[in-house]
Amino acid sequence: MNADAATAERIGLDWLRAAVAPAGAFGRLHDERRPPYGPGDEAAAHAEIAGVLALAARLDRDAVAALRAGLRAVPEPGPILVRARAGDPLDDADFYELTRLVDALDALARAWDAAGGPRGEAPPRLDALRDVLAPGRTPGGFYLADSFAPGLRAARAAFAAAEADVEARREAIAARVRDALGIDPAGDEFAVLRDAYGGEPPPGVNVLRETATYRVMTIVAPSAARDAAFATLAEEEERARRALAERVAALAPQIAAATSALGALDRRLARVAFALRWGGCVPAFDADALAFEDATFAPLAEALAAHGRRYTPLALELRGAAVLTGPNMGGKSAALATAGFLCACAALGVPPPARAAALPLPREIAWIGGEGREARASLLSSYAAEVVRARDVLAGASRDTLVLVDEFARTTGPREGRALLVALVEALAARGAHALVATHFDGVAAAAGVRALRIAGLRGRVLAPARDGDLDAALDAVNAAMDYRIVDEAGTPADSDALELARLLDLQDDVVRRASALFSS
Amino acid sequence: MVVGTAKNVGKTTAFNALRAVARRRGVAVAVTSIGRDGEPVDALDAEPKPRVRLAPGTIVALPAGLLPRSPALEILGTGAAGALGVTVFARAVLPTACEIAGPPTARAMRATIERLRTLAEGPVLVDGAIDRVAALAGGADAVILAAGAASGATPARVAAVAAGAVARLGLPGRDPARERGRVIRVDGALDARDAEALLAEARGATVVVADPTRVALRGALLAALCEAVDLRCERPLRVVACTTSPVGRETVLDPRALVRAVAAATRLPTFDVVADLAA
Repeated sequence: MNADAATAERIGLDWLRAAVAPAGAFGRLHDERRPPYGPGDEAAAHAEIAGVLALAARLDRDAVAALRAGLRAVPEPGPILVRARAGDPLDDADFYELTRLVDALDALARAWDAAGGPRGEAPPRLDALRDVLAPGRTPGGFYLADSFAPGLRAARAAFAAAEADVEARREAIAARVRDALGIDPAGDEFAVLRDAYGGEPPPGVNVLRETATYRVMTIVAPSAARDAAFATLAEEEERARRALAERVAALAPQIAAATSALGALDRRLARVAFALRWGGCVPAFDADALAFEDATFAPLAEALAAHGRRYTPLALELRGAAVLTGPNMGGKSAALATAGFLCACAALGVPPPARAAALPLPREIAWIGGEGREARASLLSSYAAEVVRARDVLAGASRDTLVLVDEFARTTGPREGRALLVALVEALAARGAHALVATHFDGVAAAAGVRALRIAGLRGRVLAPARDGDLDAALDAVNAAMDYRIVDEAGTPADSDALELARLLDLQDDVVRRASALFSS
Repeated sequence: MVVGTAKNVGKTTAFNALRAVARRRGVAVAVTSIGRDGEPVDALDAEPKPRVRLAPGTIVALPAGLLPRSPALEILGTGAAGALGVTVFARAVLPTACEIAGPPTARAMRATIERLRTLAEGPVLVDGAIDRVAALAGGADAVILAAGAASGATPARVAAVAAGAVARLGLPGRDPARERGRVIRVDGALDARDAEALLAEARGATVVVADPTRVALRGALLAALCEAVDLRCERPLRVVACTTSPVGRETVLDPRALVRAVAAATRLPTFDVVADLAA
C-alpha cells in the first residue's frame, strides 16, 4: 500500500506507524523488511490480524507492557555475530553482551509464561549459547574463566606469582626509601628535596628528573619473569577468546533465528497493544467493498480525549464511488480519514478499530483536497495544486486505489468547480476506484451517477451561541446536537447548517441575521 | 573528583596517590576519568602521563575501546556510548595497567558515577576536569583541586589561579534564611555581560546560578560581583583540598614554597603528593 506524505498525514498513517512501532531493535528491523499488505495478500493479512486479536484476548495490557519492556531490553548481537563469523577476535565486553542476550531472552520467556501466553508461541531461548558462556558467568557479569583455555589457569597463577614477587621487591625498596629518605613513596614517582637528602638514591631507585631544589625518583623493579608470565597470560587469554568466539560463530544461525523470531514477536505485541487500546476486528477482505461499523479514527479519538471530548464511532458502506455531503463540523473529513485509516490498518496487519469491517487492500490510498501547504511550497495556487494532484491520482487510479476527495475545487467559482467535481467523480467511477468524495456542492452524486450519502447533521435549532468567545462550550454544544451518522441522501440536498453554526460560534448577530434573510429570499 | 586548574598540573598524579592510599588502607575503590587518562603520553600534547595501575578488586569504568585485553577484567555492565565505544564497568582480577576515560557529558558522567557507587564498596575516585565537575554538583562528593607550575611562573601566580578556581567552585548554595532582597536567577552561564548588568542594577540582591560551573567569570570581576551581590548556586560543590605540582613545561618551582602559597591563598589543606609535603 502506497500513500504519499500528505495522504499519510490526513489518514493518520504516520500516527498509526508510530502507534504500532515495535519496542526493540529486532522488531524495527523486522518491520522494515515487511512491506504493507496489498492486493493478493488478503489471506496473509487475515491471518496476522486474527493472530493479533487471538493473542490480545489472552493477554492484558500490563502483561503486554511488561513483555514489550523486556523486548526493549534485549541487546542487539548483530555486530558481534558478524565479527565472530568473520573470524575477528571478540572482546570480553562482547561476551558480556551475549550473556545479557541470553538473560534477556530467559526473562522474556518467564514474563510470557507469567502472562499466560500460548506455549507454542513463546519467545525463543538460547540454551546452547547459555551453555557455551556458562563457565564465564559470575554473579556480577562475565569473566574469561580459566576453563575457556587449557593453559589459562596456570598462566594466571604464574602471572599472579610474578606480580607478587615484583610487588614484594617494590615494597622492600620502598621500605629502604622510607628508612633512608624519610619519604613514603606512595605512587609511581616521588620527589626528594635536595636540602632533605643529597646522597645517592638507594638501590632499586632511579632518578627521573632533577631540578635545583629536588629530584624526582622512581622505584625500578624490573622482572623478566613477570614480563614472560604476562606474555604467556596474554597468549592464553587470546587463545580462550578465539575458542569462545568460534563456538559463538557456530551458533550464529541459531542466534539469528532467535532474533528474527523476537522481531516477529515484537511486531505482534505492538499490534496487540494497539488492539487492547482501541479494540478491533478481523475484517472481511473484499476488493469491491469498503464498509465498517462503529469504527474509530484513532488519531482523532486520541486528540479529542486529550481535550476531554469523546469521539463518535462511524459506520459506512461503500461500493465503488460515493459523494458525501452534510453540515460543516459534521465529520465529513473525519469520515474520509476513517475509511483511509481502516484500510491502512489492514494493510499493516493491525486490527482495524471497528466492530466489523469489510475492506479492500488497496495498492494506493490517495487524498485529494486541501493542498494549501503543498501549494505554498511549490508556488502553485491552492486550486492549481488540487488540479495537479487530481491529474496525478487519476493517472494511476484503478480498482486497487482508494481515493479520498475532500472538498475538491472549493477555491474556484462554484459552477465551474461543481462541474469539475462531477467530471472527476465520473472519471474515478469509470476507473473502478473506491472513492469517497466530500463536498458542499449540490447534486454531484446524481450528476455523476454514484451513490449519495450525507452526514445526518444538527438534530435541532435550539442551541445557544458561545458566550464571550467560549469555543469549548460551543464545541460541546455542537457535539451534543450533531448527528454524525452517515446516511443515504434522499430527496432534497441537506443544508450545510452554515448559518446556524455561525450563530452558535458567536458571529456578530447582525451579520448572521442579514445572512439568514438573504438565504431565505 | 580531582580537577585541575590547567593541563599538566598533576591531576592524575594526585588521583593515583589517592588510589595508592586507599589500597594501602585496604579500601576497594572505583575509578573513572572524565578525560582520557592512563596513556603513556598525553594524546593532545605528547607530554609524559602516569599510567593507571589497577589493583585486584578495583572497579573501573572505561570505554570498550580502552578495555585491556590482558590480564582480563571481569565485566560487570555496560553504559552510555561515546567515541571510544560503550562505557564498560569492570573489576580488576589481576593487577593491570590501562588507560581510562569516561563518558563525554556531565549527565552521562553522573550516571556512570552512580553506577560505580552501586558496584564498589569504597569511594568512587574520578580523574576529572574542571569544566565537567558539574557532574558532582548538589551532592556530598568531594572535589580536590590540582594546581601546578603549568598554570603560573611563580608560586604566587599559581596560588592566585588556584584561589580563583576555589572561589568559583566553592560558590555557596542557596540559603533562603539569608535571602532578604531580590532573588535573581541566571539561567545558563553567568558571563561578563551579566556581571556588568548585575553590578549596575542589582546590588544587594541574591543572584542564583544552577551550579558553580555556570560562573564564567574570574579575577577582579568575580570578586567585585561577589562583593556587590550575594552570589549563590542551586547545586553547590564541596572543594576539600588542593594538590600542587612544582614542575611545569618551562618552569620548576620550589615545592615547599608552592604548597605554602596555595594553602594560604585557598585556605584549604594542600598537599604535594610526590614530595610528601603538606600545608
